Amino acid sequence: MAKPVVKKEYTLSERIYLWEILKGMKLTWGHFWFNFKACWRPGPHTIPTCWQYPEDRTREISPIFRGEHMLQRDEKGRETCIACGMCAKICPAKCITIKKAKRKEGDEEKYAAKTYAASFEVDLLRCIFCGFCEDACPKNALVLGQEYEFARYTKEECILDKRKLLMNYRKAKEDGKLKPPRKRVPVVPAPPKPEKAEKAEGAEGKKAKVAGAKGKKKPVVKKKAAEKAESTEKKEAAEKEG
Amino acid sequence: MDDWLIAIIKVVCIWVWVLLIAVVMTWVERRGAALIQDRPGPNRAGPWGLFQPLADGIKLFTKEEIIPTKAQKFLYIMGPLLFSLPAFSAYAVVPFGDKIILGGKEIILQVSDVNIGFLYILAIGSMGVYGVILGGWGSTNKYSVLGGLRSTAQMVSYEVPLGLALLAIVFVYGTFSLRDISLAQQGTFLGFLPNWGIFKQPLGFILFIVAAYAEANRVPFDLPEAESEIVSGYHTEYGSMRLGLYLFGEYVNLVTISGIIVALYFGSWHMPYIDLGAYLGPISWGVVSFCIFFLKVSFFLWLFVWVRWTLPRFRYDQIMGLGWRGLIPLALFNIFITALFIQLTV
Amino acid sequence: MNQNPTPQTGHDTGDYVTVNIGPSHPAMHGTLRVVALTDGESLKKVDPEIGYLHRGVEKLGESLTYHQFIPITDRLNYCSAIPNNVSYEMAVEKLMGIEVPEKAQLIRVIMMELARIADHQVCIGILGVDLGAFTPFFYLIIQREEIYEIFEWFNGARLTNTFGRIGGVDADLPDDFDERWEELKPNVRKANEETEKLLTHNRIWMDRTIGVSAFSAEDALNWGFTGPCLRACGVKRDLRIDEPYCMYDKFKFEVPVGKNGDVFDRYIVRMIEMEESIKIIDQAYKLYKEMPADAPLMARVPKVIKPPAGEVYSALESPNGELGFFVKSDGSANPYRIRIRPPCYMIYQAFPELVEGELIADLVACLSSLNVIAGELDR
Repeated sequence: MAKPVVKKEYTLSERIYLWEILKGMKLTWGHFWFNFKACWRPGPHTIPTCWQYPEDRTREISPIFRGEHMLQRDEKGRETCIACGMCAKICPAKCITIKKAKRKEGDEEKYAAKTYAASFEVDLLRCIFCGFCEDACPKNALVLGQEYEFARYTKEECILDKRKLLMNYRKAKEDGKLKPPRKRVPVVPAPPKPEKAEKAEGAEGKKAKVAGAKGKKKPVVKKKAAEKAESTEKKEAAEKEG
Repeated sequence: MDDWLIAIIKVVCIWVWVLLIAVVMTWVERRGAALIQDRPGPNRAGPWGLFQPLADGIKLFTKEEIIPTKAQKFLYIMGPLLFSLPAFSAYAVVPFGDKIILGGKEIILQVSDVNIGFLYILAIGSMGVYGVILGGWGSTNKYSVLGGLRSTAQMVSYEVPLGLALLAIVFVYGTFSLRDISLAQQGTFLGFLPNWGIFKQPLGFILFIVAAYAEANRVPFDLPEAESEIVSGYHTEYGSMRLGLYLFGEYVNLVTISGIIVALYFGSWHMPYIDLGAYLGPISWGVVSFCIFFLKVSFFLWLFVWVRWTLPRFRYDQIMGLGWRGLIPLALFNIFITALFIQLTV
Repeated sequence: MNQNPTPQTGHDTGDYVTVNIGPSHPAMHGTLRVVALTDGESLKKVDPEIGYLHRGVEKLGESLTYHQFIPITDRLNYCSAIPNNVSYEMAVEKLMGIEVPEKAQLIRVIMMELARIADHQVCIGILGVDLGAFTPFFYLIIQREEIYEIFEWFNGARLTNTFGRIGGVDADLPDDFDERWEELKPNVRKANEETEKLLTHNRIWMDRTIGVSAFSAEDALNWGFTGPCLRACGVKRDLRIDEPYCMYDKFKFEVPVGKNGDVFDRYIVRMIEMEESIKIIDQAYKLYKEMPADAPLMARVPKVIKPPAGEVYSALESPNGELGFFVKSDGSANPYRIRIRPPCYMIYQAFPELVEGELIADLVACLSSLNVIAGELDR
C-alpha cells in the first residue's frame, strides 16, 4: 500500500499452477506412504513422531526435568530438610510455606539435622516450576522430580503437604527416577587480593553449603566477604569506566 | 410394478451406499490428513479408528439443537436441508456400474438414465448454493453472511467453466446421457490409449476438475468456510445435526463429483485394454463393473483429500480472477478446438 | 488516528459493515482483537485493540527480586523464552557491571539461536495455517519439539525455560548435546526444505503473499520496526551485527534482507535466518568445545543482588526484533522499575497502516507474518 511493489517475475512452472502443485503432492505422498507403512508396526508407538500418550510412555524424560516436587531423604532414610526457608524465600510465586521445628531427643533417626520442617506445603496451583527452590536448597532436600501428571480433582489435593512430598520421593525411588544431584557450575575465581580472596573462596559453591551447616557465625562472614567481593568488582568496573 | 420396485430398490441402495461412502470419507479425510502430516489421526474408536464417524454421528445427533435468538428461524432451518437435498439427488443420473441381468430382466446400474443427464446435474448442482446462502443469511452472523456471499459468487462463477467443460464432452460424444457416454468409452483410442474421455479432452478434464473443486468448496477453493478468516463461514452458527447435514452434504457432493469425473473422463466401468464384459457372466459382470467403477471413484475421493492437505487457500479476488480470466477463456478455447476438430474430422 | 471515529461493533452504517475479528477467533494468535470496518471484503478501517492478555508483568517486577523476575520473562514471548531471559539478565548485568564468562556467553548464543529457530518455525507454520496450508505447520512443529527436547535436557523445562541466571548460566550443555544437535540439524533443514517445496514456488502461495501489506523501508523505520519485519523492508539492521553482544562479533553469518517488506519477504527472511542460525550454532559449538571443561560459567555475583542505584537499557535481537529491558534500580533488592520494549508492540502499531485497503484474508496473512505474540504485546 505504502510503496509500489517490486514485481516478482513468475517462472513458467510457477505461472501454470499445476506443476508446483504436483511437486507438492509428490512430497505429501512421500509422507503419507512412509507413515502408512509405519502404521502397521506393532505396539502403540507406530508413527515415529507421535507418542500414544496414556498407553505409550516410552518417551525418555530428562532426568533433570522440572516436574512435581519431592522431599528427599538421605541414605539412612532421614529427612534432609532443615527448614531454612531458602526455597520459600526465593520462590517467585510464593507457593511454599514451611514451619520450622527443633529436633527433639530421640528423633535423630527421623531427621538429619537439628531443625526440621514441621510442615512443608507446596501449592501446585501457584507453582510455576522455575526450579529456583531446588537451586536454593542448601541440603538438596527439595527437588522437582520427573512426575508430570498434575491433574487433581480438588483444590486440597493440589496442595502438596509433607506426607505427599515424601511419598513422591518414595515413589521416585522405587521407580529409579531419583534426580541426580545438581551440578554446580564453576564460578569465576575470586580476584587475586590476598586475604579477602581466601575468605571469599568460602562463599562459593559446595564449600559454602558445608560451612553453612556448621554454625551461625560463618554466614555473616560470608555475607561480608561477598559484599567485599562485590565492592571490589564495582571499583574495578568504575576504574574501567574511568 | 416390477419397474417401480426395481427403481425403489435402486434408489434406496444407492442412497445408503453414497451415505456410507460419505461417512467413511470423513474418516478417510482425517486419517489421510493425519498420515500426510506425520501423525496417526483418530485411531481410538474401533479398529484403526473406523468407528470414529459413528461416534461423531452419535454426538451430532444427540447434541442439543440451538437456534440463535436473532437468527431468522425459517431460513436457518431451511439452509442445511436445501444444501443436503440436492447433494443426495444429484447422484441419481450418475451410473455406478454397467448392467445386471436378473431373471431375464436387464437392470442398468444407474438410478435413472435420463437423456438430459448433464442438464439435470447442472441444475441440481446449482441448487446447493441456496442452502449455503440461506444458512449464511439466516444465521444473522457477519461471518456467516460473508461466507454465504463468497460461496454464492464462487459457485455461480465456477458453474460457467464447469458447464463449458461439459459442453465440450457433449460435442465429442454427441449425447447428454451419462450412460451413453460411459458406453462409448470402451475399446482403445488411437490404437494404444484406452478410449477414455481424458485423452480426448485433456484440457477439458483439468478445467472440469478445477471447477468441480470450486463447486464442492474444497481446498484450495474453500473460501466459504475459511476457518482462519471467517471462523467457519456459513455454518458458524450451526450445531448438532444441522451442522452434520452440511458436512455430510459436502462429502456426498464429493462422491457425486468423483462419480461424474469417472463416468466422463476415466472410462466409467471399463478396464483399460481388456473388455471384461465379454468373459464374465451377466451377474458377475454387473458386480465387477460396479467394483471397477468404485475403485476409480475412490481414487478421486482420495485425490480430494490429498490435494486439500497440500495446498494453501486462494483469496477471494484471486478466485474470481482465476475463474473469469483463466478458466472461462480456456474453456471457450477448449470448445473452439473441439468443435474445429470435430468439424474437420467428421 | 483517534480523531476519526473508530469502528465499533454494532454500528453498521451505510455501505460499511463492522466486523469484529477476535479476541477469540481462529486467526488471532493469543487474544488480539481487531475491529474492522469493511466494504464487502475490503478493509476500510482497522482498529486493533490490545490488552486482553495484560498481566501487569512490569508492575509485578517491582515486587520481586532481580532473580525472581527471570521466570516471569519466560511468559513474554512464550514461543521463544530464552532470548527474553537472556535480555533481562543482560540488562541487570550491565547495571551491575558484571562480566559474563565467555563460555557462558557461548551457551547463551547456542540456546538463543535454537530458540530463534523454534520461534521462526512456529511463525512460518502458523502463517501457513492461516493461509490454508496446514501441512507445513506439522513438519515444522515436529522439529520444534526436537529443539524443545534439547532444552529439556539442558535445564529441565521445555517451554518456560527460566534459562540462565544473572551473571551466567545455571547449567552446562548436556553431555550428548553434540549427538542431539547433529541429529537435529539435518531434520530442521529437511523440514525447511519441505516447507519451501510446498509453499515458496506455489503460485497460490505467491499470489497470497507477494505484495500483500508491503511496507517501505522509510515507513518501517519511522514506525519503529525491528527484526525480520524491518529486514524484509530492505533495511539491514541486526543488533547481532550492529551492536554485538554475547560474542556475536566472532561468528560469520549473513543477514538476509528483502525488498518489498511484504508477507512473502518476511517469510523468506525468516526462512534464511533459520539457516543462518544453524551456522551460528555450529560455530559457537566449535568455540565452546575449544574451551576447557571446567571454565567458569558464572561470574562472581553476590547472593542478594542489589545493583547500584541507576538505570540501564539493554537490548538484543530476539527472533521478533529488538527486545529491550529498561531496569531502574534504587539500590534495594527489588527493581524500582522495569520496562520492557517488546518488538511486536512497535510493529503492531503500524498494523492499520499495513492492512487498510486490502482484503480480510490479507489481514490474517499480515498478522501472522508479523508474528505478533500477545504475551509480549500486552505484557
